[in-house]
Amino acid sequence: MTPTAAEVLMGNFMALIEPPPQESVGDYMASRISVIGMNSLLASQETEMGAAVRVWENGAISALLSKAGAPLAASTDDLSITALDALNAKLRLALIAVHEAVEAKGDVTLDREILTLYQAMADRRMLVLPVMPGS
Amino acid sequence: MSLADQLSSYLGRLWGRPVQVLDLTRIPGGASRETYRFDVDVDGERKGLILRRDPVGSLIDTDRRLEFLAYQSFYGRGVPAPEPVALEMAETELERPFFIMGRIDGGKAASPFTVDPYAAHAATIGEQFFSILGTIAKADPVGLQISEVAEMPEPAACWSKELDYWAKVIETDQLHPQPIVWAAIRKLRRNPPPPAQKISVVHGDYRTGNFLHDGEGKIIAILDWEMAHLGDPMEDLGWAIDPLWGHFDPDKVGGMMPRAEALTLWERVSGLKVDEQALDWWSLFNAVKGQAIWTSSAREYRDSGGKDPVLALSGWYTARRHDKIIADRLASLEGWA
Repeated sequence: MTPTAAEVLMGNFMALIEPPPQESVGDYMASRISVIGMNSLLASQETEMGAAVRVWENGAISALLSKAGAPLAASTDDLSITALDALNAKLRLALIAVHEAVEAKGDVTLDREILTLYQAMADRRMLVLPVMPGS
Repeated sequence: MSLADQLSSYLGRLWGRPVQVLDLTRIPGGASRETYRFDVDVDGERKGLILRRDPVGSLIDTDRRLEFLAYQSFYGRGVPAPEPVALEMAETELERPFFIMGRIDGGKAASPFTVDPYAAHAATIGEQFFSILGTIAKADPVGLQISEVAEMPEPAACWSKELDYWAKVIETDQLHPQPIVWAAIRKLRRNPPPPAQKISVVHGDYRTGNFLHDGEGKIIAILDWEMAHLGDPMEDLGWAIDPLWGHFDPDKVGGMMPRAEALTLWERVSGLKVDEQALDWWSLFNAVKGQAIWTSSAREYRDSGGKDPVLALSGWYTARRHDKIIADRLASLEGWA
């Protein structure tokens, strides 16, 4: 999933390294720094859960593909985010193909299972902003 | 030459009088364009203006002429749209195309990611918010300036025109396969909505955060018309009540008022009926459209070297929230093929 936490943290650095033009130092820069802060906070969540979520999702999709009789992508022992995302991309493409076939066939039971899997995938990927009161 | 000097020269030529640009400051918001506030001094008279300039990279690709004509279409016509002042398509003046509009002072916009931003004024603001949307929906686009360039779709083709466009955006910009949004796109194609009751001007991004209120319960400006087009008025309604814009309150659309009250208000002012089947379709469509915008954000963030943190937040946090909204909606749809 993009961007990754590593990309966001690198981006935060890039966003601050260049001095802004004179007309951008006021409200605009204050807002920009606030967003950079939010991104850092979210990156801390992603760093904590990112590998575990990907390992879970790759396993869950593989299980469903197996149940649907679809060929499986080779698994990986490499737990880097880059390797897990590369495997995840292959599995997600296979899942899309299986879902299309399930819909064409009218297999209501497997369709329901896939939709339930989508909910679980979205749930586990969620990032949480702290409560910020309106002004 | 500084941006302020360039702007002074441009406006001086445009108005045929010496113009001094003062207090030019970039402000946040309107993420598809660079937005600046400034004053002009012309013959000793001072006036507040806003400059909207095309960015180097953006959340969305939009036509600044359409946005300008949308302001022209509704300024002074019962919608608090800012006064359009000048449109410049050439890149010779300020390096990129831009337009200038009147500034409405004394207002604030809520961040969509705050809770209870309107507090005791929520219902009052909600009444205006959905009434203004009804006014936009009711307007006959024939004769409005936006019709000079916006395509007039057939009522039965509004849905496919929009869905094709945003599906193409996802197809072009996705960096990682997205099974949830593609399932929604297929579902939308298999279950088209009824034809539009009428063709209306669609604001395209009508939601909390895209208007200014005075802090005492009055909406004073409707902003960010960069995605304006002609189409089914249910499209704007579906976007306005999307859970993403609910300020984390499931009982109030837009963080303002219960859904039923909002729809009743909109019906009363627009003179149109809310067809729940159509609204279901446009609601799911809007979550897809949102995901398309966030997909483009992620692409632009990577392609531009990660310099704009707003693109990161949109392409990441917001994208995941919309994935959740779409997945929950897909699982709850009844009677759809």
